Amino acid sequence: MTAPERAIKWSYMDHWRSNGPSGPVDQWHSRKTMSAFLKQVKAVGFDAIDTFDFRIWQMYGDYGGPAKYQEMVQDHGLERIVNTFHAADYDVRNYAPHVPETHEAVFEDFRVTMGRWSEIRLDNIIVMPATLFYDMEPITEDKLKYSAECWNKVGEITAGFGVKLTCHHEFFCGIQSEPDIETFYSYTDPRYVNLFVDTAQHCIAGLDPVALYDRHAHRVSGFHFKDTRHVATGDDHRHRPDSEIMAPTTGKWFYEMGTDQGLVDFEAMMRAVRDNGYRGWISVEHDKANKEGGDYSESTAISRWYAKNVLEEIYR
Amino acid sequence: MSGIRWAYAINQWKPQFDDFVRREQHERALKTISIAGFEGVELTYGTGRWEPLGNPQQLAANFGSVAGFGEFLRSCAVDAVSSWYWDPAERSMEDLTGPLSPLAEADAPAIAQRAGLLAGALAELGGSVLLVRPVPGAGDVEPLDDDALARVAACWDAAGRTTAEHGIRLALHVDFLSALRRDHVPALLDRTDPALVGLALDTGELTAGGIDPLGVIERSGDRIWHVQFKDALAVDDAGEYLQPHAHWTVRVRGGAREVPRWFAEPGADGGLVDFPAVTRALLGAGYSGWIVVESDQSPHPAASALLAGYHVQRELRPLVEEEPA
Repeated sequence: MTAPERAIKWSYMDHWRSNGPSGPVDQWHSRKTMSAFLKQVKAVGFDAIDTFDFRIWQMYGDYGGPAKYQEMVQDHGLERIVNTFHAADYDVRNYAPHVPETHEAVFEDFRVTMGRWSEIRLDNIIVMPATLFYDMEPITEDKLKYSAECWNKVGEITAGFGVKLTCHHEFFCGIQSEPDIETFYSYTDPRYVNLFVDTAQHCIAGLDPVALYDRHAHRVSGFHFKDTRHVATGDDHRHRPDSEIMAPTTGKWFYEMGTDQGLVDFEAMMRAVRDNGYRGWISVEHDKANKEGGDYSESTAISRWYAKNVLEEIYR
Repeated sequence: MSGIRWAYAINQWKPQFDDFVRREQHERALKTISIAGFEGVELTYGTGRWEPLGNPQQLAANFGSVAGFGEFLRSCAVDAVSSWYWDPAERSMEDLTGPLSPLAEADAPAIAQRAGLLAGALAELGGSVLLVRPVPGAGDVEPLDDDALARVAACWDAAGRTTAEHGIRLALHVDFLSALRRDHVPALLDRTDPALVGLALDTGELTAGGIDPLGVIERSGDRIWHVQFKDALAVDDAGEYLQPHAHWTVRVRGGAREVPRWFAEPGADGGLVDFPAVTRALLGAGYSGWIVVESDQSPHPAASALLAGYHVQRELRPLVEEEPA
């Protein structure tokens, strides 16, 4: 008898640090550290991993390319690489979604990038759809429209490679408030631009991630389930030079799902996922988990414990 | 299918007396153990207010009652306390008693009474085995002669009788510093009542002591009532266990070589134990019961537990599950 097919599978977004003999290292440090990382992700019951676009160079250098690296992932009992996060270095001088003069550089970047990934199957390529907030402000309707036009075209390019373009709204990017997100999506083409709901980022920005998801469920192509204990205040979202790890108010924004004092209502989120009939992958993320004494192994265990013992009771 | 169940020892989370005292730390450790695929947890005896999981009195002080701790365990998706490790040489601040010695006839009744208390709590928590350190370290007592072995055997028979009243088995846990390390284990075991006293097989301790666990299974497989799977990263081949206070100078400090870490989770780099071979040998000997996976020491407890979980899930559990009924 075979187990019934699950509606939801769990992928781990591959932020990681471990302690090496000369100090902290990430999993790409060596094959040995990569193996230890994959073993731990598998041990707690994740089905797959997500990764970052910029890791492709280590995939080529150390493993012979994405397909060969994915073989190593699979040798550890994980299904595949589901999504990649395109962490671009935005700059208003040459690469910025709200600056039309730079769009051709963005498009060319994605033509090249998608070619590099084409040897494996990806579901999504995830982008932050705007520059840092302070590089885009004031946020005007025109800038939101230019950004949407940029991503419409990029989404068309990625769709040509069978991969969805999906937008992940960091609390410190130029499109993070509720009205700006709504305006942005009103200009995007739902065939080419999807929403990737990061529960913590929206919560920090003062949005209800469940309500946002419910409004856009038809074009949501994935999730980062992670928690936070803080909502941004004052200039947190536009702090120079960086908000994510340098905001004076908050040393650590992100926590694993299942943390004490978490602000995200994951049970409501999971009911919404169920009620909207979503089937597919949910990615779990807790970037910067090691800040302020945290521990990636433990955070990964706690988040997967929560998924198994709480969320899968709601929908699986 | 064999009757083997997998648990994890929580001792690695408490390297110092003031570590691991808060409820949220216990919760995160237990959830980590659970999601790594273990259904039980092994506790280690401790005393005083900074040992919340150390003994039944502290469980009651921290969780309302032993049953309250059981509810806490289940809220973390851990089914049971598989076992409790107790060295009678540890004092009891709760009972205002000092070290007890199985070599002293006068201490035997108190040892049996204390074993009964631990066994009663274990039974309430779904466990089945009380592990005891049967004798002190080799460097801390005179060599064990026949009379000494007879006193020790009588002590543990009496304690085993007490634990059996609670449905709990008593197993002798011989560590690599033990006065029983060389040749004496069979001598003691043969003097005990096989209905009352069994052996705890600790792969790491045996290996660090230069003893092949496979040989112990071959000779005493029918007496094994409990198993701990931990790896050994070094062997005390210079006989440093014979020094006084070796618990500190050898186990903790690492001896003359300053061994940084004697033990690790199964599958660790540099590990000396062949766990698939030990698993197969245990199955061949008809072992049924808990296998408690340990790291014992770890600079990174959560990672150790997850790596151990992976090793069990992918390498060892399949060996057990392919065993014919």
